[in-house]
Amino acid sequence: MDELLQQVAAGLATGSIYGLLALALVLIYRSTTVINFAQGEMAMFTTFVAWTMLHWGTYWLVFILILLMAGGLGALIERVVIRPVEGAPTLNVIIVTLGLFAIFSNVATIVWGGQPQAFSHYPINDETVKLGAVVLSVHDLAIMLFAALIMIGLYVFFQYTPLGLAMRATAQNATASRLMGIRVGRMLTLGWALSASVGAVAGMFVAPIVLLQPPMMLAVLLYAFAAAVLGGLDSPFGAVVGGLIIGVTESLVGTYTPKEWLGPEMALTVTVFIIILVLVIRPTGIFGKRVLRRV
Amino acid sequence: MLAVRDVIAAYGPIVALHGISLEVQEGSIVTVLGANGAGKSSTLRAISGLLRPKEGAIEFEGRRIDRMSAEEIVALGISHVPEGRQLFSELTVLENLRLGAYSRFARAHGDGRRVHREDLSPLGRLRHDLFHAATGGIRDAAREIGQYRRRRRDFEAALNQVFEHFPILAERRKQMSGTLSGGEQQMLAIARGLMANPRLLLLDEPSMGLAPMVTQEIFRIIETINRTQGMTILLVEQNASLALDIAHRGYVLETGRIVLADTSENLQKDEAVRRSYLGY
Repeated sequence: MDELLQQVAAGLATGSIYGLLALALVLIYRSTTVINFAQGEMAMFTTFVAWTMLHWGTYWLVFILILLMAGGLGALIERVVIRPVEGAPTLNVIIVTLGLFAIFSNVATIVWGGQPQAFSHYPINDETVKLGAVVLSVHDLAIMLFAALIMIGLYVFFQYTPLGLAMRATAQNATASRLMGIRVGRMLTLGWALSASVGAVAGMFVAPIVLLQPPMMLAVLLYAFAAAVLGGLDSPFGAVVGGLIIGVTESLVGTYTPKEWLGPEMALTVTVFIIILVLVIRPTGIFGKRVLRRV
Repeated sequence: MLAVRDVIAAYGPIVALHGISLEVQEGSIVTVLGANGAGKSSTLRAISGLLRPKEGAIEFEGRRIDRMSAEEIVALGISHVPEGRQLFSELTVLENLRLGAYSRFARAHGDGRRVHREDLSPLGRLRHDLFHAATGGIRDAAREIGQYRRRRRDFEAALNQVFEHFPILAERRKQMSGTLSGGEQQMLAIARGLMANPRLLLLDEPSMGLAPMVTQEIFRIIETINRTQGMTILLVEQNASLALDIAHRGYVLETGRIVLADTSENLQKDEAVRRSYLGY
């Protein structure tokens, strides 16, 4: 029983990371119906930049600067690369994001090399905290705390500020939004900026676990896709819940699958199976909105 | 108040407006009649900036608006209630109304600053821009907080006025707008347009898909808004008899051209109008 609880708690921690990256995917998807395949690589890239900056700055200062820079990067990508293909078939935009994937991955390899690097100067140490029967590292607690703070922050922003409301309106009906006086282009840019910032946080928490290297976000991105599809691609709340479910599933499957059944490797198979199952049974995900309209 | 002159507009290769001219006097209701595809909606889209004219001019209160964006035009005081209502169906009634008032805040923002800057010398502009890049954010935030109370009061006042015209919306303010009945949705669309505090209201087929009783109620409210608030209204409608009943003047549109323009009384007596649009 204690073992089970322990695995669930560990799953919630990794699940928070999947949830964050899934949240980044959803922020872009629901305003533009584009799946940004470069989401993970953008996060990897900003984390590398953070690693370089850590040679001269303190961790939390760099952390904040990286969030701002990631926002700028997201905005820049939207303006320069995505804007020209706006209105083109969705497939074209997806191919553009695949191109971005390749660019970020290659540039990172050229600049920082393909060797895994220890994410030095990370201030959160390996100490553990005992909560009842469960032992969690301070790192895991920090991940969950940040994921929760970001969720609450975004919820308040979207639900209670005029700008957040304008962004939700833009996601639903761009033409009507223009008639309200909302500058739709700016809202899309802002959406990409927010998304890149949230993704950057995920990257900053992945790096200390898996070592910093160009492909470090690949598996995370796959789990994040699973999380977003499971929760509903247009639901930020769903993305986080989906992330937690996927994280716990991964942890439990990894622990309790017998060796002769692939052992921990089985987790990936089960995750992909979940994606397929959701797409067949409930394509809009758990919290995705079924279109409700009266004509 | 509004003058449209020889406007030509097209969707790609398909020309929708072949040189339209019309005028709207302040305080009046003007209607544009015509069959499906005659260019009624395109006329409104050209005025509100959704469809950019290829040629011709559109003036609003003496100002050329035909090269402005839709976002700028609504801030100038023209509200477009589009065909098919175009509500934010997954937002609540109140949120839709909040969005209707969005352009007021945008207006408060832009003005002062832009006008200043253009009067300066190039060097002055550079200094001005650098200064504002540094202080603008803080100043905007301060102004935002300073104006918050006044804005809130303005918003509440506009909301109350709109609820007076459409009491049912006050009851349903927390409801998702996609779940309203057709008539309520149309009321919300008009109410949302009014929240921008426009001086000219463009209404596109408010009767579309509604039962006759509901249509009549909505037309009665439109007339009341014009009479009590002095709201200028440009009304596009297929239901010619209802539209002519409340309008002061009317235009008849056929395949992108104005074929008739007269007072409502004269149009109601016109043989061709009676045969084609009134059905008797």
